[in-house]
Amino acid sequence: MALNSTPFLSYHEIQVDSIDIYDDAYGFYQEFNDVMKLLEQVRPVPGKRLTKRLIERVRQMN
Amino acid sequence: MKKSMTDYELIEKFVKGEQSCFETLIQRHKNKVFAYISLYIRDQALAEDLFQDTFLKVIQSVKSGKYYDNGKFISWVMRIAHNLIIDHFRRVKQLNTVSNDDYESDLFNSRKLADANIEDHLIKRQIQKDIRKLISELPDDQREVVILRHYSGLSFKEIADITDVSINTALGRMRYALINMRKMMEEKKISLTFN
Repeated sequence: MALNSTPFLSYHEIQVDSIDIYDDAYGFYQEFNDVMKLLEQVRPVPGKRLTKRLIERVRQMN
Repeated sequence: MKKSMTDYELIEKFVKGEQSCFETLIQRHKNKVFAYISLYIRDQALAEDLFQDTFLKVIQSVKSGKYYDNGKFISWVMRIAHNLIIDHFRRVKQLNTVSNDDYESDLFNSRKLADANIEDHLIKRQIQKDIRKLISELPDDQREVVILRHYSGLSFKEIADITDVSINTALGRMRYALINMRKMMEEKKISLTFN
């Protein structure tokens, strides 16, 4: 076998933890790439004040 | 060190009295939970209340021994959020009557906006507003799947569990939602004018 042959991967070496097999099979991200890109423009995050208020309430509970 | 602990390890320590472990869980999952709630129910004040109620309910459930680890803590939290939303709408029975016209963009990640000039900033805000409106115009069941999948990062299996439908139904709703959104994008001529 030539030294530069592609090594085989065994099954357990394939990382699938962060892959949704259904999403992958249906190919939503490929087929609807334009819609997905648009959705990416919105990233709602809780404000710092809200997070702080929540943490204060959690502390009061204990 | 806490950052590298699993969710369950943090819960165990929290139950034993390490208060700060729950705060680590909040920091780890707050964006997913907030994105789901705020994009689904539209009204910001209500979203903030339900966001807090979700985590408080999680604490009550954890303390009363109702959480059993199956490696899907966030999925369980999202189910609690889902149930609180459903409960809310059952109580007030005013689904689709709350306007989000005055929804301000302080919820958006402002760090990215900091460097942009004012014109870009305004364009971006308008596009974000358009997108939120687009999402809000989807039928409830389709909107929920898009949010849970795209913004909360849940798998279709988890979404199917939370919404009590089959995986095929969840996949179908996602497809219809994306088709509808594309159609609305074309009708309203919404497109990416910046990057």
